[in-house]
Amino acid sequence: MWRGGCAGGALLLSVLFGLGAAAAQEPIVFGVITPLSPPGETALGQLAKRGAEIGAEYINEKGGVLGRKVALSVQDSAGKNEQAVAAYRRLVSSDKAVAVFGFIHSGANIAVNEVAKEMGVPTMGTQTGASDVTAKHYDVAFRTHAVDPPRAATWLGWIKKNNFKRVSILAETTDYGIGLAKETEKQNKDKALGLEIQTIMFDRTTTDLLPQLLQVKAFKPDAIVNVGVGQPLDLMITQAHTVGLLPGAAMVTSYDAPARPQFWQLHGDKGVGINFVAFYSPKSELSEVGKEFAKRYQAKFNEPPVYAALNGFANALVFAEAIEKAKSTEPKAIIKALEEGSFSGWSKTPITFPRAEGALWHNWSPPLMVLSYAAKDQTPATATVAYVLGE
Amino acid sequence: MIFSTELLIQTLLSGLMVGVLYALMALGITFIYSIVKTINWAMGEFYMIGSYIQFVAVHFLLGPNWWWLAAILAAAGTFLLGLILEPILIKPMYARPLQRRDDYATVVTIALLLLLRNLAVALGGPNQYRPESNLPVVWIGPLPQEGARVAACLFALLALATFWLIIKKTWVGLALRAAAQNRVAVQTAGVDVYRLDAVAFAIGVALAGLAGALLAPLFMVFPTNGAVTTVKGFEIIVIGGLGSIPGALVGGVLLGLIESLGAAFISSPYQNVYGFLLVILILIIRPNGLFGERGREA
Repeated sequence: MWRGGCAGGALLLSVLFGLGAAAAQEPIVFGVITPLSPPGETALGQLAKRGAEIGAEYINEKGGVLGRKVALSVQDSAGKNEQAVAAYRRLVSSDKAVAVFGFIHSGANIAVNEVAKEMGVPTMGTQTGASDVTAKHYDVAFRTHAVDPPRAATWLGWIKKNNFKRVSILAETTDYGIGLAKETEKQNKDKALGLEIQTIMFDRTTTDLLPQLLQVKAFKPDAIVNVGVGQPLDLMITQAHTVGLLPGAAMVTSYDAPARPQFWQLHGDKGVGINFVAFYSPKSELSEVGKEFAKRYQAKFNEPPVYAALNGFANALVFAEAIEKAKSTEPKAIIKALEEGSFSGWSKTPITFPRAEGALWHNWSPPLMVLSYAAKDQTPATATVAYVLGE
Repeated sequence: MIFSTELLIQTLLSGLMVGVLYALMALGITFIYSIVKTINWAMGEFYMIGSYIQFVAVHFLLGPNWWWLAAILAAAGTFLLGLILEPILIKPMYARPLQRRDDYATVVTIALLLLLRNLAVALGGPNQYRPESNLPVVWIGPLPQEGARVAACLFALLALATFWLIIKKTWVGLALRAAAQNRVAVQTAGVDVYRLDAVAFAIGVALAGLAGALLAPLFMVFPTNGAVTTVKGFEIIVIGGLGSIPGALVGGVLLGLIESLGAAFISSPYQNVYGFLLVILILIIRPNGLFGERGREA
């Protein structure tokens, strides 16, 4: 009986220890929800994914997190809210992800946050600008991207610098487009900028923007703010040339899509003169890990990194550092560490997530600037820095 | 909203031109339905394939001066693909005794849609492309029109005229019209109706491929670019009448005009809604469409 009990106990212990050792070897899963197929902004999705992958490689080379490797589970949102929500549920329930990032579309990020606040695993907006991503003050919602107010302030600053008076905003009917259009009008009023603003909203699935652009042409604007994401952004550039709006008026795009390598293939000579809001210039100084990332990215993809990739990388690093600080993969402990800590990203400015007012809640914002292409085949590295927010 | 006569004419021209191009897609759908009695839900994917062929031909092989040859190649390429796929996917619907033919056709063409769309993502990546165009701006009176748009519209009209001539003046056209009226009677007359099905399917998807090729420099090339155009194609056949060739053309132009005018002078965010409102109106007033005829089933 005694011998049998000993044998049974030994077996139980060995099973428990065996399981414990196996659990210790299991990787910590980071979920990446990003648009990898249309109608999402696939180019940015690919870039964020590249950054996250290099981030995971880098973390694992440095010994992992809490002695465990980090593994990515990449999910395609296609820029659709319902697909992103399904992906988040899958990541948390099946893949046991402890952190989720990679969001590019604000709508998808906002929709996921509604589920995340119940399921508890923190999210981080990689390149989502709408205020509501963080303005709802959910404990789980974090972001490392510029929100609507500073972004609108950036192009308004650029508009004032160039002494433009009449401005057309063409914005898609999404959380992103509506938020930015309203914010621009609000700041024009609040700051008494005296701009005459024409706002035209459009459905993001539209394949023809000529009717809208003809209205813009009739308004005779000095500047056009292009608040399309993905295909509509490029369609607007092409068709603005068709109706003769460009190159006469100046156009600024609301994010750094023209930094993508395929911009010049799409637009050729018509890309000259385009201005775009950027969050990083290759002329900016990087942190030590940022430099390391840039070196690896250049070696792997034979091109310099752009912002979405830098942010994808930084998001992975921030979560890894937060887990180390929390000494736990429990969501609440990670959230506490994120709120209390200061983290290294690609920028020299440390990343923090204060419980601040409004959309600045849990938000770290990169520097904002307007870059301008003065000649064909320019890159962000050779583009002119036309305006820097706060200059 | 700003209103002026010049703006109105410009908007009308824009709507008219895009409507003619939509009509090509609708004609393909309605033509296949007339002969094969099948709705091809993958029509937008043939549009997408046409646009990719146009891009590859112009960008890598021929250059922008030969855009018209690239468009012919795109139509020919999608025609061949249709000729290959029809016997594999659609023919079993008639060659074997199936109880629910419509369900079979729906499932098969939706599966084809998913396959082709995912193949495009796998082969071409998710990014957008645009075939170069060096066509100069065309001035219609004081109004500038993009050269590629005018050329696409004229080419589409030429294709529609060629299609009409083939259907009305050739033996194949006669056989196709006969098959549209009565498949059994055509079989009884000794005509290989399965071969006619393949030809009809191939012509239909070639029209979609041609539309994709002609619209590629205007609306760009990406894996889901056919999705919205397919929806418009179905709207047009409801407006014009299922199976009607003039209905496809008139429906296309009407849809193009109502979308452009609505977006320019009523409210821009509802651009895609105006077409549906027209569809609802037509369904109330004339359920068979403007040129459709009441069907008879035994």
